[in-house]
Amino acid sequence: MLPATGSISSLVAGLWLLNVLLDTGGQLAFKAAAGSPLAGDGLARWKHMAARPWLWLGIASYVIEFLVWIAFLSLIPLSEGVLLGSINIVAIMVAGRFLFGERLTRLRVIGILLVTLGVTIVGIAG
Amino acid sequence: MRRFYLFGFLLLMGFDTLSQISFKYAGTQALPVAASVAWLLRVFGQPWVYGAIVGYVGAFFTWMSLLKHAPIGPAFAASHLEVVSVMLLSVWLFDEHLTVPRVLGAIAIIAGIVCLGLAESREHPPEPAA
Repeated sequence: MLPATGSISSLVAGLWLLNVLLDTGGQLAFKAAAGSPLAGDGLARWKHMAARPWLWLGIASYVIEFLVWIAFLSLIPLSEGVLLGSINIVAIMVAGRFLFGERLTRLRVIGILLVTLGVTIVGIAG
Repeated sequence: MRRFYLFGFLLLMGFDTLSQISFKYAGTQALPVAASVAWLLRVFGQPWVYGAIVGYVGAFFTWMSLLKHAPIGPAFAASHLEVVSVMLLSVWLFDEHLTVPRVLGAIAIIAGIVCLGLAESREHPPEPAA
C-alpha cells in the first residue's frame, strides 16, 4: 500500500495515512451526529447534536487532521497533495459499507476504482 | 431552490479552495516540520493558518446545511471537485507544474468522483416537492 517510491518519503507517507484515518473517522462521526432521526430542526437540531459525543469526536478528529494536513502539504507540491488526499473519498465509502451497511453498487465500485487509480498514478509518478 | 443549491455548491468549493491554498502557505512558512511546540507556534504565528480555519469552518457549516436539503449526488461531487480549482491555482500561485502523471491522475479521480456522484443520485432520487 505504501511503497517507498522515489519522490515520497516515509514521513510524507505516514502523514498521508494518518490523514486518511482521521478524515474517515471524522466523517463517520459527523454522519452519526447528523443522521440521528430524533434530532428535530433548526436550533433544536444543533442542541441535540451538541449534547452527544459524535459531533465532538468529529471535531476532535478534524482539529488533529488540520495539523497533519498542514505538515503534509508543506512537504509536497499542493497540486500533488490534493490529488493524493482524494483517497479519503474511497476510505469513507468503504468504511460506510462496513459500518453503515451502505451498498456498493457497480457505479460506486467503478468510481472507487477510478479514484484509486488516479491516486496511484500520482503517488508513483506524480 | 435550484439557484440556492448552486450557490451552496459554489460556496462549498470556494471555502474548500481557500482552505487548501491557505494550508499550503501556512505549512510552507512553518517549515521545517517537527512534532514540537515550536512548529505549532510557527503554524499559528502567521496569518495563513487563520485563512485555513475560516475556509474549514465555512465549509463545515455549508456542508452540514447542504446535507440536510440538497440532492446528495451533486453535493458529494461539489465537495470534492475543488481538486480542479486548487490544481489550477497552484500553478499560478506556487509555480507548480501540471505534470503528465498529475493530469492523468486528476482525470481518473474526477471521473471517479462523477461516477460516485451519479451513484448517490440514483440511490437517493429527489423527493417530490412538499
